[in-house]
Amino acid sequence: MSEPLDLTLCGQAAAIAAGELDPAELLEAALARIEARNPAINAVVETFPERSREMLAAAPAGPLHGVPVVIKDEWPLPWRAQRFGAADMLAKTAPGESGPYRALRDAGAVIVGVGNMHELGASSTGNVSVYGPARNPWNPERCPGGSSSGPAAAVAARLVAGAVGADGVGSIRYPATYCGLTGLKPTFGRSAMDGHHMADLSTTIVSGPLCADAGDCRLLGSVLYGEELRTGDAAGLRIGVIEDEVSEDVAPAVREACEKAIEDLRAATDGEVRKIELPELAAATLATVLIANSESLGGVTPERLNNLHPELSPLGRGLLKYRLMLPAVAAVKAHQLRAMARQRLADVFEEVDVIAWPTVPAVAPPLEAPLVELPSGTLTADAANVRGGALANLTGIPAISVPVGSSEGLPVGLQLQAAWGRDELLLDAAEALEGANGRRWVEAAPPAAEPTEV
Amino acid sequence: MEASGSADDFIPAALAAFGVEADEIELAVMRAAHELLWPPILELLSLDTGSAASEPAPDLSQPPRR
Repeated sequence: MSEPLDLTLCGQAAAIAAGELDPAELLEAALARIEARNPAINAVVETFPERSREMLAAAPAGPLHGVPVVIKDEWPLPWRAQRFGAADMLAKTAPGESGPYRALRDAGAVIVGVGNMHELGASSTGNVSVYGPARNPWNPERCPGGSSSGPAAAVAARLVAGAVGADGVGSIRYPATYCGLTGLKPTFGRSAMDGHHMADLSTTIVSGPLCADAGDCRLLGSVLYGEELRTGDAAGLRIGVIEDEVSEDVAPAVREACEKAIEDLRAATDGEVRKIELPELAAATLATVLIANSESLGGVTPERLNNLHPELSPLGRGLLKYRLMLPAVAAVKAHQLRAMARQRLADVFEEVDVIAWPTVPAVAPPLEAPLVELPSGTLTADAANVRGGALANLTGIPAISVPVGSSEGLPVGLQLQAAWGRDELLLDAAEALEGANGRRWVEAAPPAAEPTEV
Repeated sequence: MEASGSADDFIPAALAAFGVEADEIELAVMRAAHELLWPPILELLSLDTGSAASEPAPDLSQPPRR
């Protein structure tokens, strides 16, 4: 067989279940590959081989029995408190059992490492972290995406076949796109979140899978959801697209790849493409930023802000202090915009099954200067990316990013969004798209992770 | 008002009012954030949403109640 670490998550689980692959050997191979490949990408910030071996020794015969995975530095583990990619996260944390940890453990998975992340989850780029930035396996001088930078880079570099990320404002879908993966943002509340330091505060964050393809996301997602994400049928898919100034402000190569993918998806499902209107989209983007940036402020006091850890980045310190200045009236209006956007989407989803647009408008920017060139001019990647990522977090709907092309040697992703609870349809649609393009993009490997035969 | 112009007055004044200190790099970060966020915030503030549909305590896992 191929090198076991180059198998998909489903392939690894199936090979172990069939007795064709020794999970102890797979774990040691994963640890060795992390040691060999991780220095170039800084995706995994900590391994704990003895803990991993103990997990394997105690692993039940679940759907991920013996399969190594990485988890983002956003949840506690029984032997490690999360650091949120930061020297100072304004919240008390301690080692413990988080929901994602329990879900993985009970499924028989083996947590082999903790994935890097953007400091405080505050950016779509992944270029700032207390551990140093993670790097994109497709080009180490480019951003891996954030904030789930490490989980994405780890899967793209084939250190593991699956990783658990978190998505508060696009933070699974951005790195999925930049690293050429499939990333699922679940319907709010459907996936395991307890144990997260903002689980009782946040109305935008969810846990979710980052994997090579939709089948792997279905498997890891089922574990995180605590229920089987059943395969359905995307036949006759009604695909909604919007045409407005912001939605068309996309790099030409990204636009071309996404338009082709939408046509491929339509043809593969014998579906149809319908134009829709979302006039609240621009305002909804700001509303998401305001809500997501204010829900975490309970622990903020002037005294605390004057005594931030010196190793917190200047960017993190400045943004935390700026959050104090966000007007309360704007936050109130943001919640009203959320209601309006949800109502609009409920109407739209009577007309279409999914809404499709580029996950981000340009490929991964340079780590040193994360700017993107768009038809409207030069923007920060964050300002550009949030336009496409925010709506799902604001309204609670599920979304998925699927790799559909390449530009400048870097991956391009298409985002599909569906109505509340229709997460399975997104996976069905992603699988239909994979079938339409011969799995070309989900099987593409970055140079550092070319599959090897043994 | 230009966001860049208002930032020079607004940010130091707000920090002083809150009793929060900031160094030059932090101030530069705040200015950049302000230039990005403040114009759409002003647009949002100019909207009269008093009669807009509201959804108290929404269940975000479900569609809105009709």
